[in-house]
Amino acid sequence: MNPKKTKKHDSRRNVFGWLLNTPYLIYSLIFFLIPLVWAIWLSTMDWNLMSEEKKFVGFGNFIRLFKDERIFASFVNSYRYLVPIVLLCFIFGLLIATLVHHLPDKIKGFTAVLFFIPYLTSGVATSVVVKYFFSYNSVFNRFLRDSFQLDIKWLQNETVAFAVIVGIIVWKMSGYYALFILSGIEGIPEEVNEASKLDGSSGLHKLMHITLPMITPTLTTVIVLAAGLAFGIFTEPYLLTGGGPNLATTAWQLEIYNTSFTRFQSGYGAAIAIANAVQIFVSIRLISFLMNKLNKKFGW
Amino acid sequence: MKKKRFSLKTLIVILVTYVLLAISLFPYYYMIMQSLMPWDQVDKRLFTKEFTLRSYTYLLSTGGASNSMMWVKALLNSFLVSFPTAVISVVAGLFVGYSMTKLKFKGKGFIYNSLLFQMFFPVIILLVPRFMLMKSLSNSYTGMILPMAISIWAIFMYINYFKTLPNALFEAARMDGAGDFTIIRKIAFPVTKSVSTIVFLSTFMGRWTELMWDMLISPDIQMQTLNVMISTQFKPMGNFPGPMYAASVILTTPIIILFLCFSKHFKDGISFMLK
Repeated sequence: MNPKKTKKHDSRRNVFGWLLNTPYLIYSLIFFLIPLVWAIWLSTMDWNLMSEEKKFVGFGNFIRLFKDERIFASFVNSYRYLVPIVLLCFIFGLLIATLVHHLPDKIKGFTAVLFFIPYLTSGVATSVVVKYFFSYNSVFNRFLRDSFQLDIKWLQNETVAFAVIVGIIVWKMSGYYALFILSGIEGIPEEVNEASKLDGSSGLHKLMHITLPMITPTLTTVIVLAAGLAFGIFTEPYLLTGGGPNLATTAWQLEIYNTSFTRFQSGYGAAIAIANAVQIFVSIRLISFLMNKLNKKFGW
Repeated sequence: MKKKRFSLKTLIVILVTYVLLAISLFPYYYMIMQSLMPWDQVDKRLFTKEFTLRSYTYLLSTGGASNSMMWVKALLNSFLVSFPTAVISVVAGLFVGYSMTKLKFKGKGFIYNSLLFQMFFPVIILLVPRFMLMKSLSNSYTGMILPMAISIWAIFMYINYFKTLPNALFEAARMDGAGDFTIIRKIAFPVTKSVSTIVFLSTFMGRWTELMWDMLISPDIQMQTLNVMISTQFKPMGNFPGPMYAASVILTTPIIILFLCFSKHFKDGISFMLK
């Protein structure tokens, strides 16, 4: 091949490579890079979303964050959501996966898919059902009152409302994470199971000393995904509690949405979003770091 | 009895599994049952023998608000927004994934780094400026489709899948004189069918259930997706639980049917996602 031809070939290859990436690059410019710069600029402004006027306040918005009880509540709540959601998703995911794993092969796949259905449900539909199901005159609450003299105000009590939202998310996600864990469990080589049988390991002992260590990479994925999810809560508190009572169920995304678009403090909203992003970044990094340490311990 | 089909242990596992499954699917039973109940019994019973379609016909006729057919329009809007979004995600993902793994060209490293940077970037930061950028496209399908048309997650699904395929597969076609686009159409697209199925279903579902962006960009009742319409009508129509249940059933069903149809592909995909 002569050098001239190779050069021509090279440039054609370059053009084609960039051509394939054009949609992505245009998208990134318009919907990522420009908004990113814009967001940083906005976060230094006092601005009400509509008016032409913007007032430069420097770090003012960021200083305001520290005195805002709503932001403090969102910050605390993000971890209050994170811990039970990650733990319960993990426990139920593992439970479902273990059960499905021991099913006869014939119904295994089918059952796993049925457990997966809640994941497909819009948070809006779930919120409709939950709101009515827990309303004062619903069949469920009347049953509790008539049979047990229990009068629970599901969405008006701080602790209960919080538990309801955690419950919705765990219900929604467990079957999805179970599929991950199931495919991890099914990937454990047969020899390992045989060896553990010979050693007389079974039940809880086997779970703690063989199954879990064998699937730590899968568990890492599940835990990091669940953590990311816990930071992105919006629909359920938006429709069910509005973040209340007393900010007990509020979340970052809800505060950013309300600050920017219902209270029209859009510059401040942008600053909150940046603070939230920093927190997500640091927290996810920390969780990944800890999980990697755990992985190393088990030789992954 | 010598030939026992299942051992006792297996029977217990089946029993426990299906009890758990019944609890997990109870909300669907409740939702469907309430949507079919006579209006004076909604939320007051767990079961009725007098089924009625009144809640559904109510949605079809007036739907409560001034303009008729608004619920039908909302369902149509959901499809018209979700379908193009999913198609673009598949095509763009395939293109980028293929070029990142099977092509050599100048600047590839730059694009790859930009993908990595966006992968873990919390998009919530971009909410306000994206809204400012798209404000002139309010109440349009374009305004709903474009900002979510490309999924970085989808791109990485393709990148990881293409990595597992031998280069020889594509080199051979090139030797035979196949053009670049022909290779994508005739080889890259068919061999990644299972990834495309998952990407299509996931992005379709993600778009179908999106709430925040659609509420912002499409306040006009004629342009709302079903998901948004239920949440905006939830308060004003709170005293009509029957139709709200019916709308929720209509919102949920298409996605479940779609996934059940492709569940086999989806299971393959999950096991691949972990690699």
